[in-house]
Amino acid sequence: MLARINRRALLATALTGALIAVTPAWSADTFKVGAINPYSGATALYGTEVTRGYELAADALNAKGGLLGKQIEIIRGNATTPQEGIAAIEQLAGRDNVDVFIGTYLSAVSQAASEAALNYNKLYWDTNALAANLTERGLLNFVRSGPYSASFAARSVSFITDLVAGQLGKKPSELKVWIEHEDSIYGTSIAKQQEDELKKAGVQVVGVGAHSYKSIDLTDSVLRAKNAQPDVWLETGYVPDGNLLLRTARDQGFKPAAVFVGTGDTNETLEAMGKDGVEGLYVVSYPRPDISEKFGPGSSAYLAAYKAKYKQEPVAPQSMAAYVGFQMMAEAVAAAGSADPAAVKAVLPKFDKPESSYATGFGVKYDEKAQNTRAFPTVIQWQSGKQVTIYPVAAAGDHKPVMPGK
Amino acid sequence: MSGLLNIIVVGLLLGGIYGLISMGLNLIFGVIRIVNFAHGELVMLGMYGAYMCYFLLGMDPYASLVIVVPAMFVFGVLIQRFVLQPLQGEPMMQIFATFGLLLIFQNAVLAITRGVGYTAPSALSSIVVDVGGIKISLVRLIALVAVSAAALFLSWFVKNTMLGKAVRAVTQDRRAARLMGIHVEWAFMLTFGAGAALAGLAGTLIAPIYTMSPQIGGNFILAAFAVVVLGGLGSVWGAYIGGFLIGVTEAVAGYYLDPSLKTAIWFAIFIGMLIVRPSGLFGVVGAEEIGLREQD
Repeated sequence: MLARINRRALLATALTGALIAVTPAWSADTFKVGAINPYSGATALYGTEVTRGYELAADALNAKGGLLGKQIEIIRGNATTPQEGIAAIEQLAGRDNVDVFIGTYLSAVSQAASEAALNYNKLYWDTNALAANLTERGLLNFVRSGPYSASFAARSVSFITDLVAGQLGKKPSELKVWIEHEDSIYGTSIAKQQEDELKKAGVQVVGVGAHSYKSIDLTDSVLRAKNAQPDVWLETGYVPDGNLLLRTARDQGFKPAAVFVGTGDTNETLEAMGKDGVEGLYVVSYPRPDISEKFGPGSSAYLAAYKAKYKQEPVAPQSMAAYVGFQMMAEAVAAAGSADPAAVKAVLPKFDKPESSYATGFGVKYDEKAQNTRAFPTVIQWQSGKQVTIYPVAAAGDHKPVMPGK
Repeated sequence: MSGLLNIIVVGLLLGGIYGLISMGLNLIFGVIRIVNFAHGELVMLGMYGAYMCYFLLGMDPYASLVIVVPAMFVFGVLIQRFVLQPLQGEPMMQIFATFGLLLIFQNAVLAITRGVGYTAPSALSSIVVDVGGIKISLVRLIALVAVSAAALFLSWFVKNTMLGKAVRAVTQDRRAARLMGIHVEWAFMLTFGAGAALAGLAGTLIAPIYTMSPQIGGNFILAAFAVVVLGGLGSVWGAYIGGFLIGVTEAVAGYYLDPSLKTAIWFAIFIGMLIVRPSGLFGVVGAEEIGLREQD
């Protein structure tokens, strides 16, 4: 008898438990954000890092009551390729009925995933993808709040003409620059924009070199650049080819006055080259949490929250741009009163905040293509084994650029 | 003129790396008749082996050779015994099995490292020898010396030792070799072990040059296949000379034409070679008919 009651009770409890467990997936009390990034594969480290920025922004918003009166819930959609991006959108839109999509570490994924999201009439808010064509498509559901390839090119060129030329005691027209890039769409598009901007500023572009990021040897690329005797060696690529170029340049005795490495702002480059090997290198990169509080209000608080939640220093600077991008998305959705793409896009022109309004130093002003025109990267320099923000001057605080070898 | 000389030296040094990577691949192909798709991954495991020795024991990559090379030999023997030997007589299945190993090795390393790029630093990695204005990186010079030593040792071994003669006998005719009392399976295990050990040697020696990633094996393997086909399938000296051919072609084309064209140029040479001399420069005619000839 006892056993029977117990069994019934057990069954009832189990059923109730199952119902409770199922409920949240059906209820609408949370505002669901689908975060499209690579969480497996070679770029998982950076995809996860970007989503950490979203999680920190969601935590902060949830503490203040969430978004549209609901708590924010982030659901991850793993996408390492465009195909997986489409599949992730279909799964998150169909199964989880998310309200908004946000991403993306990889531009190619963003392109495919945002188009798939349009089929479900969902907003796709991009915080990190760089390819210029994403906003040029004029897609109805697409907004980009972060900097893109043109902003990266513009920042490197203004730094070269403002600071590097002065340091070398040359006029911009006397400066010689060699542009080196990996030969996929990412490197090629940035190099093209750099070349255009540099020529516009009157700087001499003495050569443009392309290489595959999978190259086993880059001595040929380095020797070609060395022969042109540039003052500035401006490189765009990935970590392995960037490191191989630096090593080869060291072996071949190629020492231009200023060297820019596209993705040289991680410990992977420090480990490969050693403290002396990276000394003085410049990287144009997402704003780092060490920027001055005046330039990026809230950057120290962001760093503290990151360390408290993940028990480590940020892996890469992408997460702070993601954090700020998530805030901008939430502000746009709150202003529109819904996550409907048309409603959100309708309120975008109302946003007008100057630079230095967010932790990254970004401002907000969207153009007609829904690209934020007040989001810029910063320039960092390796100094004594540490990365230090040195440009724009307002972001640098007390930090000053040093001339390698001087 | 010194520019051209410099480029040729760069190409020869690069050829040393290519030869080193290709030699094990060619050995395995020549004897066991398997195109080992996982060879690039064995090189990658050698690189990570060097990193592990550095990380756990603080060893220089060159010192870690004494651990990595024997360990890779044992690993190769185990692969031959437990993966490939059960599929003997089904050459297509063996090739698929090596492809499966490729995926397993890549993803296992990816899962462990989470995709972070590592470097195994060596005290020698920043030393550059300057010979009349031509700069020679010591790390690359060591790779060149090592591949020459390995080629000499291998050709001596297969000509002058009983074990080597057994391996050659198996290469020429498995059935007759078995009738002469040669243990064919052991010869295969020894060969795959040696091939894996050569991959381990290559991986360790190039570890100080590259930033490691789980996919790095794939960057080498395409070139290694071209080297092997150009030099001659199954020939030790073929891999050695083929490495230099590809290395010098790549350096000259990259420097004088365009770095983004260099792969296309050596592939054009590769295709030309397949048309003119399918067995490669030093290959044995018929060696390219993998899986078509009745064996065992």
